[in-house]
Amino acid sequence: MEMYEKILVTTMGEYMDEIIEHTVDLFRGRDAEILCVYVVETSVPFLTPKKVKEMMIEELTSRGKEILTDMEKGIKKSTDSNVNFRGIMVEGNPADEIVKIAEDEDVDVIVMGTGKGIVDKHLLGSVSEKVIHSAPCTVLLVRTV
Amino acid sequence: MLEIAGLLLALILSLIIVIKSSDLFVDNIVEIGAALGISQIILGVTASAIGTSLPEFGSAMIASLSGSTEIGVGTVIGSNIWNIAGILGISATVAGVIGTNPKGITRDGMVTLGTGLILIFFMLWGEITRIASIVMILFYLFYLWLLIKAQKEYQDSKSPDKGFKKKPITKKRIGFSILGIAGLIVGCRILVFAGVELARIAGIPEMIMGLFTLAIGTSIPELVVTLSSAMKGLHELSIGTVLGSNTFNILIGIGVPALFMNIPVDPLSLSFDAPVMILVIVLVLLLIKKGGMKLNRVGGIILISTYVVYAVSRIYLLA
Repeated sequence: MEMYEKILVTTMGEYMDEIIEHTVDLFRGRDAEILCVYVVETSVPFLTPKKVKEMMIEELTSRGKEILTDMEKGIKKSTDSNVNFRGIMVEGNPADEIVKIAEDEDVDVIVMGTGKGIVDKHLLGSVSEKVIHSAPCTVLLVRTV
Repeated sequence: MLEIAGLLLALILSLIIVIKSSDLFVDNIVEIGAALGISQIILGVTASAIGTSLPEFGSAMIASLSGSTEIGVGTVIGSNIWNIAGILGISATVAGVIGTNPKGITRDGMVTLGTGLILIFFMLWGEITRIASIVMILFYLFYLWLLIKAQKEYQDSKSPDKGFKKKPITKKRIGFSILGIAGLIVGCRILVFAGVELARIAGIPEMIMGLFTLAIGTSIPELVVTLSSAMKGLHELSIGTVLGSNTFNILIGIGVPALFMNIPVDPLSLSFDAPVMILVIVLVLLLIKKGGMKLNRVGGIILISTYVVYAVSRIYLLA
């Protein structure tokens, strides 16, 4: 039995090359099903004007579409294997949505970047840290800092 | 003591009313505009340009009309210094970096700097007169036109066939717009009253109240938008909000009240606050240039420190 056939890749558009490289390495020489998720973070602070919030979501959604297309091209270009790629865009809290998709889709592994340095982690919070604590499967954290 | 607590509570509540009412007004007026056939681009640009700045405008307008011109001018200049040194400083420090689009930053940076210099020029006359007011309002309309043109080019390159959705004007939309504007007026009136009374009881000059308390309070929308968009990686929105707001604050926040009355100039504003406002604009543009068209965390800390030095010297040394 192959260990990693259904892979969930998460991206915010940064470190895509590193993430693609590690993902492709997981299924080298075999066929794989890849789900790539981009989460549009919809939470805004209290007193954010409604029109500005709408604008933010619109901009993030259009960015997400571009990122998912780039990811598909990047993965297919990096491997000769037969890859079944599916881009998923959802709105919500990134960590919660990633874990939920991993559960619903019953994936074998989640691939994501470590993302932030120590200062950023404390100031901004870390999605990967939240995911590893509640993920229903193995998580491959690609070192990106 | 009880009076101070009551006034502080009034200040906080009125701020929330002012900010929420501005939002309600902009949100509904944009829908009405769309129903009347005004292009989405014009509506979008105008809504984002004035959306976060209505509280400053409302307070400056109400303060000037009720005779507290110092609070009005103080709120505008104080907001502009806080927007750049405080808000951009905090956002760059927290988010780590705020990127810029070279074309956008050159246009908005130069307009913000130009606006600041126009204000100083008119302040040198001793009073901001109706002629100055008309020049400032026309200059703002010109800037708005530049923004709309840039946005139109951007959208045409992205999705040329994007039409706009037309919805009918409902009574609810009209009602909410009126409610928004009424809330803005009433909220600003309470805000200015609480500010003036607090200044009187605590023995603080009205100018200081405007420069700091009202300026920072009415800039809460800019803070939440700039910080959250920087954290989400929406860099242009982040820096654009601050620069756009600064331009609006001066040209409309001082320009429109000056249409109704001559606005007297406080000597210390002319010799200290307005030059500091210019200085922080130049500083942020230099930091962005030095950081490879990005404002980084070190730049953010430099900006916050500049604000602290300004606030301490203005409150303790010069007041």
